Amino acid sequence: MTFLDRRRVLQAGAVLAGALAAPALLRAQSGPIRLGTLTPLTGAGGSYGPAMATTVRRAADEINKAGGVLGRELLIISEDDQTSPEAGLRAIRKLIDVDKVSAVIGTWASSVTTAVAPVCWESGTFLATVSGADSITLLPHRGYLIRTQPNTTLQGRKFGGFALEIGAKTVAFVSPQTPFSDSQYAELGKTVEAGGGRTTKLIYDDKKTTLRTEVDAVLRGKPDAIVMGGYTNDTAILVRDLYRANYKGRLLGFGFAINKQLVEALPAEVSEGILTLSPSAAEGSDGYKHVARLLGTDSPDPYSCQVYDHLNLVALAMAAGRGDTGTVIKDTVRTVSQGGGERVDSAVEGLKRLAAGAKVDYDGASGPCDFTPIGDITDSRFRYEEVKGGRITLLKIA
Amino acid sequence: MLTYVLFALVVGSIYALLAQSLMLSWGLAGLVNLGLAGFFALGAYASATSTTWGHVPVPVGIALAVVAAAAAGFVVCVSTLRLRDDYLAIVTLGFAEVVRIVASNEVWLTGGTDGISGVPVLVPRSAGLGFHAGTLAIVAVAVAIVYALQRRLLLSPWGRALRAIREDQIVAAVAGKSVVRFKAEAFCLACAIAGLAGALYGHYTSYVAPDQFQPLVSIYIFLAVTAGGKARPAGPVVGAYALVAFLEATRFAGELIPGVSPVQAAALREILVGLGLLVVLGLRPEGLLPERSQKAPAP
Repeated sequence: MTFLDRRRVLQAGAVLAGALAAPALLRAQSGPIRLGTLTPLTGAGGSYGPAMATTVRRAADEINKAGGVLGRELLIISEDDQTSPEAGLRAIRKLIDVDKVSAVIGTWASSVTTAVAPVCWESGTFLATVSGADSITLLPHRGYLIRTQPNTTLQGRKFGGFALEIGAKTVAFVSPQTPFSDSQYAELGKTVEAGGGRTTKLIYDDKKTTLRTEVDAVLRGKPDAIVMGGYTNDTAILVRDLYRANYKGRLLGFGFAINKQLVEALPAEVSEGILTLSPSAAEGSDGYKHVARLLGTDSPDPYSCQVYDHLNLVALAMAAGRGDTGTVIKDTVRTVSQGGGERVDSAVEGLKRLAAGAKVDYDGASGPCDFTPIGDITDSRFRYEEVKGGRITLLKIA
Repeated sequence: MLTYVLFALVVGSIYALLAQSLMLSWGLAGLVNLGLAGFFALGAYASATSTTWGHVPVPVGIALAVVAAAAAGFVVCVSTLRLRDDYLAIVTLGFAEVVRIVASNEVWLTGGTDGISGVPVLVPRSAGLGFHAGTLAIVAVAVAIVYALQRRLLLSPWGRALRAIREDQIVAAVAGKSVVRFKAEAFCLACAIAGLAGALYGHYTSYVAPDQFQPLVSIYIFLAVTAGGKARPAGPVVGAYALVAFLEATRFAGELIPGVSPVQAAALREILVGLGLLVVLGLRPEGLLPERSQKAPAP
């Protein structure tokens, strides 16, 4: 072993490391444009994340088939945030440092988004999220963050209006503790009180398997309507326990919680008459139908619609800015999302128009997708639905 | 890539601290602490609130975290004096849930589920790579100090008495050892280490929220300690770094297998973690580094 002294080993190691790093250096200049999805594939958000990741992949495949962005393919790398800020942080580090993605799409839980956002803006990576907590767009993100979910202040106001509309005077707000439960209740309360009603609030632990005591406490106040602020799993438990307690008033919930999955899991008489409200995916629009086609379902969930829009906006922004970095996306995303121009509802179509030198204005599957300077959407229509006979039926879009 | 490796090493070091905490309480004293995540959270919150809102210097915040976690450990230990094994495990698991629920709901104290963002860091973030490298150095020094202290404790008469209590507390009591005092000391010390880990984690990520301290963290640490060896200071350290390496490596494994959707890859990762533990336990039931039997000192 005399010929293998330490110096030689070090030299060989350096050469080897250099050789291994070389493809990575080349890759940064050409080759596919790398984008990441960070959605909850396991944990509390596990019922939403898989469809989101699939939507982004399939939409990217379509863009690639049509020639890609700037003549380069999109490569989607999907990671699981396990609905935990700790795991999400590890996953996004890998996406940014190893995969060198220029944008991350789809963070769902507000706590995960808050944890990973600083990593994004510090590394110049663009982050498009579906989290609703008001605090998120108030982070010092320097433009590297947009979201397509209306903030919760607006949602609370809409819920208040809806409750008054169905003639409720006493409204109970029942929700797990989330970053948005407080702001939502405050707005709900203001709206209902302005209409001459009264509100009460009850916060429960969303990891409990029964909510009988909570239901008893709420029903003591004899509410005409109960607004439910939770997600699918805990809302199913709440609805079931309210039925067992023979509650006869109206139930209102988020569209993302009262979804097909929940309605199918509960007997029809239990879910009968639940009213839901959700930021309207632009149903009937071509973008919405497109997502339905991609997922092979009639009614894609609002999050899938939103991540579809995220991908399209990112693709269009890169094409418009003629670059593949997060900073380019940040600087140009509002030139393709709003401000007039030819209306497009898919990246494939928009990329063609951009190549022809036109200005585009993207209106997507989740809505018009116009953003304020801090990254909130400016306009959102809401979809009002009711569960009738085990089916979710549309009341109106307003 | 380098940032990612440094990041993983910092997380591994934090896990190593937690694993050493568990080794002391579980491996040496026989006190099953399923509430590790709770003490981890307590440390993170103590330091984050005092430095972010109280504007005390970071080292003071970390010291406060250690004291707070040790104090909570003392309370839990004293209130569970008569419990061992499964019963203690249930109570500590409950403690961690209490911490998480209090942190979610007592908004005035903890910021609620919004969490605390903008927690001061140990090394300025503007240092770029230096931020990760500097933090890693600090955290690695913490691991080394705790490791050295644990080794010293283990070799001391105190450590011997502790292991005697673990094996049979009645015999130890008959031999004149104050069982309660030894157990309380070991448990407090272990909780202090977990608190230290929490404080360092909060100062590294700049963000502390209840969701970070789910029981999953405790389970990961149990895995690390079981795999590494639970009664020797080197065991949990090796186990913790190996666990983080394994968790991160499985990300890449998922991408290498063709035809696996992201959801299947995520599920496969969890299966692999379980399989990995089974393999280690099958081949090395005592962990990678089993306990050394100490010879009796020469008369």
